[in-house]
Amino acid sequence: MRDVAVIGLGMHPWGKFEGKSVTQLCREAVENALKDAGVAWREIQAVSAASSRFSGGRGWGLNGNDVVEDMGATGVPVFNLSAGCAAGGNAFNVGYMMVASGMYDIVLVVGGEKMPKGFIQTSGVEEHTDPEYLRQLCVGMPGPAFWAVMCRRRMAEYGTTEEQLAKIAVKAHKNSVHNPYARFRKEFTLEEVLGSPLVSYPLRLFEICPVSDGAAAVVLCSAEVARKRSAKPVWVAASKVATATFDDGIPRGLAGAVPPGGKAYHSEAAAAVRGAFEQAGIGPKDLSLVELQDNTVYYELSFPEEWGLCEPGEAESLLERGETLPTGRLPINPSGGFLSFGEATTAQGLFQVCELGWQLRGEAGGRQVPGAKVGLGQTLGLGGNGTAVILKR
Amino acid sequence: MAKRVPVTEGLFVETGQGPRLLGSRCRSCGTPYFPKSAVCHNPACTGSQVEDAEFGPRGTLWSCAVQDYPPPAPARFDKPYVPYAMGVVDLEDGLRVLGRMCGDDPRGARPGMKVELVLDPLCHDDEGNEIITWKFKPV
Repeated sequence: MRDVAVIGLGMHPWGKFEGKSVTQLCREAVENALKDAGVAWREIQAVSAASSRFSGGRGWGLNGNDVVEDMGATGVPVFNLSAGCAAGGNAFNVGYMMVASGMYDIVLVVGGEKMPKGFIQTSGVEEHTDPEYLRQLCVGMPGPAFWAVMCRRRMAEYGTTEEQLAKIAVKAHKNSVHNPYARFRKEFTLEEVLGSPLVSYPLRLFEICPVSDGAAAVVLCSAEVARKRSAKPVWVAASKVATATFDDGIPRGLAGAVPPGGKAYHSEAAAAVRGAFEQAGIGPKDLSLVELQDNTVYYELSFPEEWGLCEPGEAESLLERGETLPTGRLPINPSGGFLSFGEATTAQGLFQVCELGWQLRGEAGGRQVPGAKVGLGQTLGLGGNGTAVILKR
Repeated sequence: MAKRVPVTEGLFVETGQGPRLLGSRCRSCGTPYFPKSAVCHNPACTGSQVEDAEFGPRGTLWSCAVQDYPPPAPARFDKPYVPYAMGVVDLEDGLRVLGRMCGDDPRGARPGMKVELVLDPLCHDDEGNEIITWKFKPV
């Protein structure tokens, strides 16, 4: 396998853009990434794209084809990857493998999304054989309630307080003020977060991410090309994809088996992250920063311990001591995270790669993690999809 | 005359011993399934023979939450909307199952509570019939 460099980073800001199509959002992200890389569109040898359920793609998730036609049909191979909210991370992994394998030297990875208003609706499959449909019909338990159930379990296990949950949102928004791409660039006080309406007790409106429009793109290349073309490459130390395992303790439909011998939650994310550590030959202590999928503040407490970044039950004290701030020992989501961006589902994995890249290049401005050398990004998607990427300077 | 109508067929039954959830269990590895499964999905299991099984009624609330806003379709509720609690229950027979909680104090549900399976109205239809689902009641 060859070394793979990230030489181009580009984003369209996150927000709600009524007058723009998803292809227009993607075009801006792609143009920014190409310009950053110093690479012309006609030099791109293959495209790996996240498939959207909500926008563009002609109903088949052909979002990569939309981008290629819009940029100018050069005849490049296009791979459209579908993995729910993990699609951006999946597309990155496929782009990475295409360069690492020696098949292509310069590859574009792109993800863009325009989200319908409101909470993400369920599958839309109205079938009595679909467990997701049955869960909504018989129990009435949408996504945020699911996060709330997991969060409440943590509160029972570790004594996590509502105030600690709110502090994570306060921290996220404190970081977002320094990120020109974030949708919400405003600080909130603890009182404001605690005063926001309950969505699903114990979680409040400001403690879960809304949906957004956005797009992100990156240019990957071989080491040989990077040495010739780029003054500031960052390197892919690892890129891993995994799916959930049968013994996972979270019932994904209506029920599962009570897991014997303790807990294994979010096994897809844990397997991807732990696999990435192994591939990179580094450990949690080597990380300068983490960009994790904070659909809800709860994930910022559970994920670090599930991946071995801290001891079980330690996440709350890391937060309280300021260790997860950009200046702390384990900076988490200096970008402002999903809480500040909102979720443009399939673009999120690439938004993370862009943020990690800017951090490692020292270009993150007021949210810069001092001396950042190694960064971890992670996504989690419907269907039990998990991805992880580790970039290094 | 108002009737009791199940929200969907084939998921639960009222037996002589009380309500039960209708599922399956693997004959080889014992993995419980709800709803019913035609095969065993355990990758560590070499058998694939499953048999019908009934689950419940006793268990422990593993965790819970409150649905503070009216959920989107296909969820159903009576108007005006009243927040409810839902939980994940570890049944004594090894099934970890989702379900609505009974009662009018959604914040009163607590992980670790002992609970019991009941069949209870989810909502009412236009004719005033009770639409029945499974729920859990603290014991």
